[in-house]
Amino acid sequence: MTTPSLLGRLAVVIALLVPHASVHGQGDPLWRSVDLSRQLHDSLPKRIRVRYGAGTVDVRGAGESLLYAMHLRYDERRAVPVHRFDADRQSVLLGLESRGPGLGRSGGGQDVGELRLALPRTVPLDLDLEFGGTEATLELGGLTLQSLRLACGATDATLAFISPNRTRLRDLEVNVGAASFAGRQLANANAEQMRFHGGIGSVDLDFGGTWTRDLSVTTRLAVGKLTLRVPSDVGVRLELRRVAAGFEQQGLVERDGAWYSDNWETAPHKLRILAETFFGQIDLRRATR
Amino acid sequence: MPTRLTMVLILALLVSGVLGAQSVRAPDSELRRDLDRLARGELVAGLPGPDGVTEGPRTIAAGTLVRGAVVSRGPVDVSGTVDGTVVSLAGNVRVHRGGVVTGDAIAVGGQVLADSGRVAGEMRSMGALPTLFTSAATAAEPRSPMRATLDAAQLVAGVFAVILIIAIGVLLFAGPKLDEVVGTLERRFGRAFWMGILGQLLILPALAVLCLALALTIIGVLLIPFAIVAYAIAVAGLVTLGFLAVARLVGGALFPGNGATPRARALGGTAAGVAIFFALWMVAALLVSAPVASTVIRSAALAATWAAGTLGLGAAILSRAGTHRRVASGNRPMELAAWQTPTPITGVVAARRPVASSKEAV
Repeated sequence: MTTPSLLGRLAVVIALLVPHASVHGQGDPLWRSVDLSRQLHDSLPKRIRVRYGAGTVDVRGAGESLLYAMHLRYDERRAVPVHRFDADRQSVLLGLESRGPGLGRSGGGQDVGELRLALPRTVPLDLDLEFGGTEATLELGGLTLQSLRLACGATDATLAFISPNRTRLRDLEVNVGAASFAGRQLANANAEQMRFHGGIGSVDLDFGGTWTRDLSVTTRLAVGKLTLRVPSDVGVRLELRRVAAGFEQQGLVERDGAWYSDNWETAPHKLRILAETFFGQIDLRRATR
Repeated sequence: MPTRLTMVLILALLVSGVLGAQSVRAPDSELRRDLDRLARGELVAGLPGPDGVTEGPRTIAAGTLVRGAVVSRGPVDVSGTVDGTVVSLAGNVRVHRGGVVTGDAIAVGGQVLADSGRVAGEMRSMGALPTLFTSAATAAEPRSPMRATLDAAQLVAGVFAVILIIAIGVLLFAGPKLDEVVGTLERRFGRAFWMGILGQLLILPALAVLCLALALTIIGVLLIPFAIVAYAIAVAGLVTLGFLAVARLVGGALFPGNGATPRARALGGTAAGVAIFFALWMVAALLVSAPVASTVIRSAALAATWAAGTLGLGAAILSRAGTHRRVASGNRPMELAAWQTPTPITGVVAARRPVASSKEAV
């Protein structure tokens, strides 16, 4: 037996075996669509939780008459819709649950599931969103958000506040895994503090919008690129904790262990940023409004 | 001839009777199926029987009260009050001004339109009722014994193929290190086994110590996730290297490959050894339809694989992943003493060389 013949035989065996080695799923997808909604009968604050695995997600504000309006397209073999309303606790749980163990995927191949959710603008909401491998677009401007927690897995997510939040947002927390995350018009969130925690990927935070109060932001990104876009009329104080990360300061001046914009003392609104990263790049860009 | 004609007529009557009966029964069974899906899939309680379902459109007039679920095989218009759930199995559910539904409003093949009415529950519109209601274990199509066997065999074959690919990679890029681990196994078999046991016991405590040590500094805290991943990769690499060494030792003993080149011998021995270990798993997979036999053989396969993994891990640790040649060779390396000088070709009288004892005395 010579080496080439042995390798050749092995290659043939492997080539024959590998394509058939995948574990079979539960059959072809059984797609089903359903629209679920609930009328709004009071203006009490509500807690809305959304759980969703893989697919595309679109969440935005809607009219005043419905507590929620959700469109789901999902594979019946893999998932079941979840839509529970607890009147005593004024809480809603929406989304999909996986059937048994697995990745909780809502579909296979190129054809993926879909969740579209419309939320009321006038009801105070504590919003808790948890997505898996999804492409998520969240346009939450104009809602009455009291708190927002967003957890994403392998996600390409965009969180935008095109119009101002109607109340003070106590807390905004975003946790992303291996993902590309973009925050747009974040000043419109009307928040006092924001926390962004990322694993691997790119995080792009745009603090445009209407500034009504000072804002403290904590960002932690293990590996990747963090881009901060801040309007030029906002004072910036940036505290950096980095191990092997580059930083483009764009005119900031370092003093007392932090980087300050030249208008820090005079700016009507101030943005305090604590940025921690291990490996990657931090860019701070000033934009003229 | 008339008799034959009579028989044909009777047969035709019988066939038409059967078909007619089926045509009457089919909608009823379809309705029962839909009601079942409503109850189990949409969790609608208090549904009427098939006799209580309205054929065609249904109207709840203003000022009237209906207690219990309303189910219709046509559109439903609610201007009064329904104390329960309203379902249209083929059309819209429209709740007009002043209309009240205390339960859910469900439209199959239509829409729920309740802009001016009141629905206390949920409004659901769907193209079709759900067909699967139970958890995945029961919802999945039952697999035939042949299918189950084929799936199990394919899984084993897939893992075998992956291990073979890894083995080829190790032989190509880390052949000498694998040789050292095999050498350690040959010379320090018992010690490798006990070292493997110890290694398994210390895997998690060592990781905990590592994380605690890193947590002492800010930079270290950031490094913890990477350290955990690196640690897992290192342990997996050691176990794989060790397992391949055991496989090569076993395969090389059974298939010496006399006359082949060293590389072919190494590859053949490793492949044969891996195949031997996977043969047990394959037998267990092929007997998956016989649970008792499959469990027994799977236990044997698990024990053999564990023993190989333990031995291999111990040998890999002892040989420091094949980089510690002194352990593998079993001999201490040659060290030239300070007093030694190369022996001239023409010779030096041996008796004149100083000995160790004389050096110590000095």
